[in-house]
Amino acid sequence: MQFLEISKRYGHNVVFDHFSLDIPPQTILSVVGPSGEGKTTLLQMAAGLLEPDGGRISKESSEEGSVSYLFQESRLLGSCTVYANVELALRSSHTSVAERQSIALHYLQMVGLSDSLGLYPAQLSGGMRQRVAIARAFAHPANLMLLDEPFQSLDIKLKFSLVAAFLNLWEERPRTTLFVTHDPKEALMLGDAVCCLGDPKQPLWYQKIDIPRNARNISDANMLAWEAVLVNTLVNA
Amino acid sequence: MQRIKRNLVLLVSSLLLLLIWQAGSMLLDSQILLPGIPPVVHALRTLIAQPPFAHNILATALRALQSFLIIVFSATVVGVLAGRYDYVSIALRPFVTTVKAIPVMSIILLAFIWFSSGTVPLFSAFLMGFPVMYVQIEMGVRQLDHNLEEMCSLYDFRFSDKLVHFVIPSMTSWFIAGSRTALSMVWKVVIAAEVLTVPQYGVGARMQLAQVQLQTDLVLSWTLIAILLTAVGDLLFDALVLCCARLKRLLDARGVPCSSSR
Repeated sequence: MQFLEISKRYGHNVVFDHFSLDIPPQTILSVVGPSGEGKTTLLQMAAGLLEPDGGRISKESSEEGSVSYLFQESRLLGSCTVYANVELALRSSHTSVAERQSIALHYLQMVGLSDSLGLYPAQLSGGMRQRVAIARAFAHPANLMLLDEPFQSLDIKLKFSLVAAFLNLWEERPRTTLFVTHDPKEALMLGDAVCCLGDPKQPLWYQKIDIPRNARNISDANMLAWEAVLVNTLVNA
Repeated sequence: MQRIKRNLVLLVSSLLLLLIWQAGSMLLDSQILLPGIPPVVHALRTLIAQPPFAHNILATALRALQSFLIIVFSATVVGVLAGRYDYVSIALRPFVTTVKAIPVMSIILLAFIWFSSGTVPLFSAFLMGFPVMYVQIEMGVRQLDHNLEEMCSLYDFRFSDKLVHFVIPSMTSWFIAGSRTALSMVWKVVIAAEVLTVPQYGVGARMQLAQVQLQTDLVLSWTLIAILLTAVGDLLFDALVLCCARLKRLLDARGVPCSSSR
């Protein structure tokens, strides 16, 4: 997916001005940046919820159509069971009940919820709800995945467990992913590249992370150095 | 334990009410002003034993049910439209505001001029109950969670799935609140309209005849029956809601493969 010379403004506030960004297929681009610098706008434009004022968004043919969107909050249907919340996201694409069942069960098992299929969102913890949302996002047959700070406001243990669950699913079937976060560590651990917003014309900082994801360690010298640069860029943005 | 305590308090307060009634009757010492509990119970037993009793109850209950169903159906349809389209809501605002402000008696008296005595309770109950239900439904539609709506659209939910799994469940609490209030109102208005229009059968009509003949024990007996009808109506409604909730849970559980609810 490519953002080509896109422009977007809200009144006098110019968020993007001939801004370009490239996300190679089946990679994760982590996007960080101060609040109000267009992170969510970028996601909404990628999802088709928002039109850029100028420029265009080019997608690979496989990335066209539906998207999987992982929100800050789980956005589950309160009156539906865990299983139904995932299965419903498959109904428009899979007519066979058996097929839907098999896919939903597979992803719910992958996120460790196969024992909670009949529970309702109100009976789940915050972390479990987000796991259901992750399973739904991966079960939905879209090749473009958009993540809007889905691990925000979770305790560190839960965050690590959810990130692990996410990566486990992503490695199984990689999709082009735009991952918006406030956390520099999260951005560096997950992304194939990290982009810092803050200038409407171009990224303030863009870094490819060439260390394999499973070999990354946050105390590694390179990672620490990138984190320092990223934090510095964010502070000075 | 908590439940036993609650029921005990309820029982004591009910007994206190009966005690106040009996004490008041003994103090006034007049069967016309306020008869005591025993004569009213006797009158009630005589009433129940008479053949037109069932006709009167049935006539009132049918009028209430008819009005209630008309209110539920029409207010739901119009409420959904008003919640969805601003211009429908604006167009209906003068009507709703006017109807809400008109005293019940004015509506009944006007309806009595326009319609036959059998139709008046229906029409009056509709006019009084419709705004209550309509406002709740309109609010329910306006309060639909936009985040969930966005999620449904991003995940390509089919219209029917969105309706069944998102819209209807989100509207349920508003629908129940509106229906419950409308139902309580319907009983009161139907009986009040029967009192004024005196149809051949009806609780309100019997009440009016008893009042004309200064049979206060009969008036109180019919009042007790009216209270009982309202309570039974509320109980049946609650039972229906509970049944629907249980049925939904049952269907949900059947839809889950290898269900493992806690």
